[in-house]
Amino acid sequence: MELEIPKTLYSGKIKEIKLGKGDKAVTIGGESAYPFYLFEGEMPNLPKIAMEVWDCAPEEWAEAALEPFDGVTDDPVAWAKKCIKDYGAEMIALQLISTDPNGLNRAADEAAEVVKRVAEAIDVPLIVWGTANHDKDTEVLKKVCENCQEKKLIIGPVEEGDHKKIGAAALAYHHTVISSTPIDINLAKQLNILLGNLGIPDELIVMDPTVSSIGYGIEYCYSVMERDRMAALTQQDEKLQFPIICNLAKEVWKTKEVHILMEEDPKLGDAKKRGILMEAMTAMVLLLGGADILIMRHPKAIELAREMITELTAS
Amino acid sequence: MILIGENINIMSNIIGPALRERNPKPIQELAKAETKTGVNYLNLSIGPARKAGDELMEWVVKTVQEVTNLPLSLDTTNPVAMEAGLRVRQGRALINSISLTRMEEELPLVKKYNADMVGLLWGREGMPRDAAERGVIAVELAYRANEMGIPNEGIWFDPIVTPVVNVDTNQVKPCLEFMNMLQDIAPGCKSTVGLSNISNGTPTHLRPYLNQTYLMILMKYGLYSAIVDAFDSELIKIAKGEKPELVDLVNRVMDGEKPDLSSLTEEEVRYVKTVRVLTGESLYSHSWLEI
Repeated sequence: MELEIPKTLYSGKIKEIKLGKGDKAVTIGGESAYPFYLFEGEMPNLPKIAMEVWDCAPEEWAEAALEPFDGVTDDPVAWAKKCIKDYGAEMIALQLISTDPNGLNRAADEAAEVVKRVAEAIDVPLIVWGTANHDKDTEVLKKVCENCQEKKLIIGPVEEGDHKKIGAAALAYHHTVISSTPIDINLAKQLNILLGNLGIPDELIVMDPTVSSIGYGIEYCYSVMERDRMAALTQQDEKLQFPIICNLAKEVWKTKEVHILMEEDPKLGDAKKRGILMEAMTAMVLLLGGADILIMRHPKAIELAREMITELTAS
Repeated sequence: MILIGENINIMSNIIGPALRERNPKPIQELAKAETKTGVNYLNLSIGPARKAGDELMEWVVKTVQEVTNLPLSLDTTNPVAMEAGLRVRQGRALINSISLTRMEEELPLVKKYNADMVGLLWGREGMPRDAAERGVIAVELAYRANEMGIPNEGIWFDPIVTPVVNVDTNQVKPCLEFMNMLQDIAPGCKSTVGLSNISNGTPTHLRPYLNQTYLMILMKYGLYSAIVDAFDSELIKIAKGEKPELVDLVNRVMDGEKPDLSSLTEEEVRYVKTVRVLTGESLYSHSWLEI
């Protein structure tokens, strides 16, 4: 008797989106099957990894995360260049940590100036990530959009509370928006509808489902991403057929586990390896959930994630 | 379809204070207004009523029956309050509700006061996850009720409606499957639902679409009664059989027909889209009618 292997019936496809410009532009999305289900459909563009750069010198990073960027962490331009030159970054994600009203509270003009300098110094696509404070992000990201006309940035997080103003600015200057919602599929769909109502074309939207580190509720994030893809691919839910971006490095490297030294708790093993593995494993889970862009930090973790992508897609 | 007006409710901004202050006027006005809408029962919801619940239920039953002849559905989780209401009730009452966890103390009230009861299908481990779990709870509840001399005809099972916004726990299909099996597992038993719960958490002005559409779907499955917003006049018309074309359209969509949306009126399209959201064919979002 012949065994017939059951096959998922797909009726939809993730939109293919081009980010950045010129030779180093990156195309993401286009999947016609669940993540890495190459036996059922296509994954024409492999997931991309954006390397994280902060706009101010990090103060509380674990030693393991600082080491690869020794000497450049107080200069975002040098930092971004190092990521590209030494670690082969295909994209850069500039985190505007300094604009946090509860932190340094750097002014919008100043922050936008830094973004511009980085954008001008690199040729790979640039993601610019605010602090998720609606008022401040509106101020800062609007300025960034305006200041970096024609740079085709990827701007986020754009949330329901600030989508109109940031969305309008991004639209005016042709930047891509990151539609960001708090781990909820209905809200994700709703915000994508609202962005569409605003006039933002589909090819300028990527989705951020909000993610966490392994050990911190990632199962829930995974379920929501999985559900996103089920609706997009099997229920033809056009408002969820967008590539997914996961801002994971910040989440992993703030956990207690990456900061504990081996001397403090020998059974946890080598601290450096531990952080790298936590980041790589988090990346892996999110890749399996359907991530198209991962924002990552440690070059070794990135190497591991890339290896996994290669192996999972080897023919 | 037996309609039970839900509007006298302690959660309401007007009725809540009136109940606490024992101010009869707003309650009696609402009871009269609900009576005029054509509903068949009035639900009196006083919540858990832990403190002096008996006194409150007795007062509200007396207050309401001064101005309406409609049968009353008494809604509290406090058995002492329930009995106080039943004691002063003139005519038959509906006990809303009895579930497995408190049935030993509450089932005797059904017999003693010759009342009907809502059998709430809430399990010992909480919310049932599918139709089969609902069936198991229903059988146990009916069995125990029968033992105490309560006939199936006096039991109105409530399969528990959950909000459509809780996508992970969409219970529309399990509820419908339960409705399909009800007469086989408990012949003669009736059914009811807290209809408005389906639209909890959705934009207020759009709630009627969800409530009305879900009612039409449930009607197809033989629903006997529903606890509803008495002032949704469109809903009342639907329940009274005055909207046969709309009901037919919803039935056809439920049967898998995919009507050409361009051939329908704007209003009809909204109902078709709402069916799709309720059955989970299309994922709910607050803008479901716009896309």
